[in-house]
Amino acid sequence: MKKYLFILLCSLIFLPYAFADEVVFRAQAPGKVIAGRPFQLTYTINQRARDLQAPDFNGFEYLAGPYTSQSSSTSFVNGRRTSSFSLTYTFTLMGTDPGDFTIGPASITSDGNKYTSNCVRITVLPPDEEPQPAGQSGQSASNRSAGSSSSSAQSGARGGDIFVRAIATKTNVYEQEALQLSYRLYVAGVDFAQMGNTIRLPECTGFMKQELELGERQFELEHYNGRNYQAVTLVSYLLYPQHAGDIKIDAAQFEAILREQTHRQSRSIFDDFFGTYENVSRMLNAPALTIHVKSLPANKPAGYSGGVGQFTLTPSISTTDIQANEAVTLKLDIQGSGNMKLLKTPAVDWPEGFEPYDPKVTTNYKTSASGYSGTKTIEYLAIPRAAGQYTIPSVQFSYFDIPSGQYKTLSTPEYTLNVRRAPGQTGNEDANAQTYTQVNKENIKELGSDIRYITTVEPNTKNADAPHTCLTPKRVLLIDLILLILSLVIYFLYRKFRQENADITKVRYRRANKVAQKRLKTAQQLLNGDSQPFYAEIEKAAFSYLSDRLSIPTADLTKDNISDLLRQKEVSEELIQQVNNVLSTAEFARYAPTTGAEKQALYDATANIINQLENQKI
Amino acid sequence: MKILFILLATLFADANEQYAAGNYAEAAAGYSQLVAEQPSAEAYYNLGNAYFKMGELSQSILAYERCLRLAPTNKDARYNLQFAESRITDNIADNRAFFLSSFVQSMRDRLAEATWLWCSLLAFVLCLVSALLFLLSNETAIRKTGFSVAVITLVVAVFSICAAYSLHQRDTLREEAIITQGVVNAKASPDKSGTELFTLHEGTKVRITETLGEWCNVSVGNYQGWILLNNLERI
Repeated sequence: MKKYLFILLCSLIFLPYAFADEVVFRAQAPGKVIAGRPFQLTYTINQRARDLQAPDFNGFEYLAGPYTSQSSSTSFVNGRRTSSFSLTYTFTLMGTDPGDFTIGPASITSDGNKYTSNCVRITVLPPDEEPQPAGQSGQSASNRSAGSSSSSAQSGARGGDIFVRAIATKTNVYEQEALQLSYRLYVAGVDFAQMGNTIRLPECTGFMKQELELGERQFELEHYNGRNYQAVTLVSYLLYPQHAGDIKIDAAQFEAILREQTHRQSRSIFDDFFGTYENVSRMLNAPALTIHVKSLPANKPAGYSGGVGQFTLTPSISTTDIQANEAVTLKLDIQGSGNMKLLKTPAVDWPEGFEPYDPKVTTNYKTSASGYSGTKTIEYLAIPRAAGQYTIPSVQFSYFDIPSGQYKTLSTPEYTLNVRRAPGQTGNEDANAQTYTQVNKENIKELGSDIRYITTVEPNTKNADAPHTCLTPKRVLLIDLILLILSLVIYFLYRKFRQENADITKVRYRRANKVAQKRLKTAQQLLNGDSQPFYAEIEKAAFSYLSDRLSIPTADLTKDNISDLLRQKEVSEELIQQVNNVLSTAEFARYAPTTGAEKQALYDATANIINQLENQKI
Repeated sequence: MKILFILLATLFADANEQYAAGNYAEAAAGYSQLVAEQPSAEAYYNLGNAYFKMGELSQSILAYERCLRLAPTNKDARYNLQFAESRITDNIADNRAFFLSSFVQSMRDRLAEATWLWCSLLAFVLCLVSALLFLLSNETAIRKTGFSVAVITLVVAVFSICAAYSLHQRDTLREEAIITQGVVNAKASPDKSGTELFTLHEGTKVRITETLGEWCNVSVGNYQGWILLNNLERI
């Protein structure tokens, strides 16, 4: 809360700088002081003012002040008059106990308005541990020039101290975890002039190295090993270890140029007054360092991006409802700190029918002690070519999280994309026409062809489903079966009937000759007897023989159809004539009395034709 | 009933007017309403035309297929269906396993189930009569003719009954479906992470052999794979 208030106050105070005519009331003091050493706190305002209300100097000893001083200047540049004025109040304070202190805002009245200054943060460092000679701090500044040699001697007793430290922010890191290596110059008790030209910096093999911009170099007080030094960072690197193991950073060398007072024999009066100095070069060695690099755990996830650090992922999609042939952009914002430069771009598995383009990567990061920090924005562009509902699968981004020492996977949600048909893609020139050419079906070049026009015949609903109800394949099969059984029954019945029929005629056919011979025998016995039974027997013999042989019932037999049937059986015309003669003679003689010789002749003729017919196998 | 019929008639006429004016979306809506009330071959045919003009290829193919289910002899619907099928990406002709099977199938689809049944019945009766003639006649000429007629009509009867049965199965099982999604990847398993086997495009006719949850196993020619049920629509 206090911090926010402070920031708010500071912003309120610094805001006026943007405007030339604004009143600026500012407090200034060194950021670090040594306990027991006086320092100055100034309040400056660029307007005439009065009634300075100084705050409580809690934690500090108030020594003197406020001393007031003012200055004003006027200048003409290209005919424009610029004037500035400043009024300064100076307090002399002294820190007593080491620690961080804040001096609250002061207030001042100018033109009836009250202005408040900024707060000042001061770190009080502990005094040098070596017991100072008694009274030295108490001695006034006038004593200093005289005692300068002795004080240098005193510090010389401790070793006029100047050295360079190699400072690594971490010495135990993971692979690819950034660490900051800086070389810092510490000066105490010697007169440092400048850095020399000879600088030997280590190669830093095994690391990816990046030099950090340091900005303006300024000495600041730093308490180190029980002594207060003026310290400045000479060079600073960001190192990324490239492999696991102990990696050594070689020693570095810096040349520093010091001013030392010379003790020459002949001293001029000026020498005596000002002293003479000469520049002395001193090589300063920064020690070698060993960094312990731990390898990353082996269980790397599938989509490991190579990232080491701390990241967050913010996905977004430009739209979820678009037309075909319009672009859709999936944007991933990877924010955080770590080896951002080495992050691989995660792959997006676009659904089929999308035409993906190479992702566009924009980076916005700055280097800091923990590596790069900022955002990396990856924009994936794709154009759907066909309409439909598509799902863009989740995109996985895995990295090694340093604080937890584990791999972490961030993923985007699944996006469902509704792709509408592009307008104007109707009829022949729809979206499929494009794919149509792609599959090389172009040989069907239909010029000016179109579908046939709609029907205007009103729908007749009756014909649609009526036949379905009465006939099904099963019923038809059943009907078929019934018909089959029926026809089989017909077939067998008819065959049986025919067989029976065929048997009678056959038997009669076979027995025809025997029956005829029998009848003829009876006729022979009757030859000398009555003529009536003889003729009847002869007629019967002939008729029954012909009936059996021609398979015609005796009742149907006439002389005419007998000749026809015999002709069909290819019996010779002569024989047919004989048969007719026999039949007509027998018929005639039956009712007219005849002689024995006639009887004998008819008998012979009948036996003869039966024999002949038998031989012909009618 | 009569009022409903008149209502449907005016709906049909209105939709026809919209189609003639080029308002295909309105016409399609009208025909859709019509087929929802009372499915008819004419309404399906016009619906297919309206969808085709809108560029909804898969929907138009669906409507033509449904029209041909009701009236397999509709030549215009068959022509337009072929026209629409020539516009789809997948080359179905190449995917058919065997030219004879596709020939037989196209023969089958030419007539309605009932027509095939009547045809089969008639052919069987003819077959039986000529078989009896062959078996019972004494005349050689009648026997010869009877035999050949019996054999031919038996083949016709068996083919017809098979065709009718196949159509009956098709209409009761509703295994055939049209892909409605623009592009679909068929997977080896009913699972989003399944191996992708092949790609199907909108309008392709597939046969559903199995369903499992929201997935179904489809076969196209020699290919077989799982796709989501909402990517297709049964005919």
